[in-house]
Amino acid sequence: MNSYRKGGKNTGRYGFRQAARMEWIKLRSVRSAWWLAIAAVASMAASGIGVGLGYRSHTPVATTAQILNNSLSGAILAQLLLGALGALMMTGEYGTGMIRSTFAAVPRRRVVLAAKAAVCGLATTTVGLVASFTGYLGGQLTIRGTAIPAASLGDPPVLRAVVLTGLYLSATALIGIGLGTILRHSGAAIGVLFALMFVPTIVAGLFGEGGVAIGRFVPLLMLLNSVAVITPGAGLFSGTVSVLLMGGYAAVAILAGGVLLRQRDA
Amino acid sequence: MSSVVHVIELRELTKRYGGRTAVDELSFRVQPGVVTGFLGPNGSGKSTTMRMILGLDAPDHGEALIDGIRYPELTWPLRTVGALLDAGAFHPGRSARAHLGALAAGNDISSSRVEQVLGIVGLSDVAARRAGTYSLGMRQRLGVAVALLGDPGILLLDEPVNGLDPEGIRWIRDLLRGLAAEGRTVFVSSHLIAEMALTADRLVVIGQGRLLAETTVAELAATDDNLEDAFFRLTSQTTDYRGRTAS
Repeated sequence: MNSYRKGGKNTGRYGFRQAARMEWIKLRSVRSAWWLAIAAVASMAASGIGVGLGYRSHTPVATTAQILNNSLSGAILAQLLLGALGALMMTGEYGTGMIRSTFAAVPRRRVVLAAKAAVCGLATTTVGLVASFTGYLGGQLTIRGTAIPAASLGDPPVLRAVVLTGLYLSATALIGIGLGTILRHSGAAIGVLFALMFVPTIVAGLFGEGGVAIGRFVPLLMLLNSVAVITPGAGLFSGTVSVLLMGGYAAVAILAGGVLLRQRDA
Repeated sequence: MSSVVHVIELRELTKRYGGRTAVDELSFRVQPGVVTGFLGPNGSGKSTTMRMILGLDAPDHGEALIDGIRYPELTWPLRTVGALLDAGAFHPGRSARAHLGALAAGNDISSSRVEQVLGIVGLSDVAARRAGTYSLGMRQRLGVAVALLGDPGILLLDEPVNGLDPEGIRWIRDLLRGLAAEGRTVFVSSHLIAEMALTADRLVVIGQGRLLAETTVAELAATDDNLEDAFFRLTSQTTDYRGRTAS
């Protein structure tokens, strides 16, 4: 009778590094992730180009701030696409039963969640920055040869707006991961994510002038009035604070997911 | 090489869903070197038990131990326990190779081992295809590849022959017996007594989540005219749903 012998190295223990490699392979091996990333870049490119073309014949001549703010408006759609990407990294596994394979390989679930968040954060920061720069470039290239002043990335407020928009998009994806962990269902997670992006915006609008006090905490309004702009609106947080606030929302969602993950059956 | 004897041990393992007790103080040991069949009618708690052994579901009472420790405490889980839980535990958009590659990375298993298990289960030629396009039989083979990935000393398979054609059933049977002959611990659930008679040496029989017998195929068969009658007699009090004989 053959005797079973344990082969291979048997030192160490599975941990974050292994889980992160696993999550990276998973992320890049499904088409939906690529499509969502491409669509996010394309939506920002399209809005950048569209805004630039629109302003070419606009009177009075548009300002640097107008061009920049508006050419980054594709982030409204891009945030939903990358938010969905984040949510699907978790809910896609619950929907298919993959989650049981994942937890069988890495039983400490919060290690899986941390790895997903890290991989998602890195990937969507890259995609978000590419998308944001594409939107900026789309606007700038299409206004070439007109009287509209160029917005140079050498100008710190311009560079800051473009970079912060990219980081804002990544934070949205991380909120998606958190919601996906809490809700475990693709439709529910993406629905709640979209609602969180739009409903508070509408509610803040109902308060009129007083809405600023609420609006400065609202994701979409922060994007449009603090993050993707040269100068934030009166009474609002700075772009940096707004993006940090988004990161805080993501942290709360992911930590809440982590608590539930431990308690529930897979 | 490891001198550890790979044993699964359940101690009063209990799981309740609401008021219903799915697994009821189940205690038994699964030994290496033989195929142990885990037999019971539909809904008797086999899958729940398997999920609790893997730490996927938390028991309400008792514990399931692998070589004396709980599953989440294993250093490299896939290299100790290989599991086939259901044929759908993959993302349909991902290729078999990427699915196995991701899980391998999670336990520092080499990519050459991924190609090796693809060869063992006969999926090498279709490994680049999205797993969602696979037939049920191919899905089962992918599940078996996952179970074999870490060259584990313990194998846990939940209804592995479901959906397989006769050739596939024989393939699974020979594979499991071969793995047990190498000294591994093989624990395989089924509600098909005839199939278990051909595959398993030892039997753990449960009904309504309770242990009914821990025996061998030969011993159980000797208690009645044949193995099937013996099984029905054993489980007759615990079958949830039964059709009446046409008269």
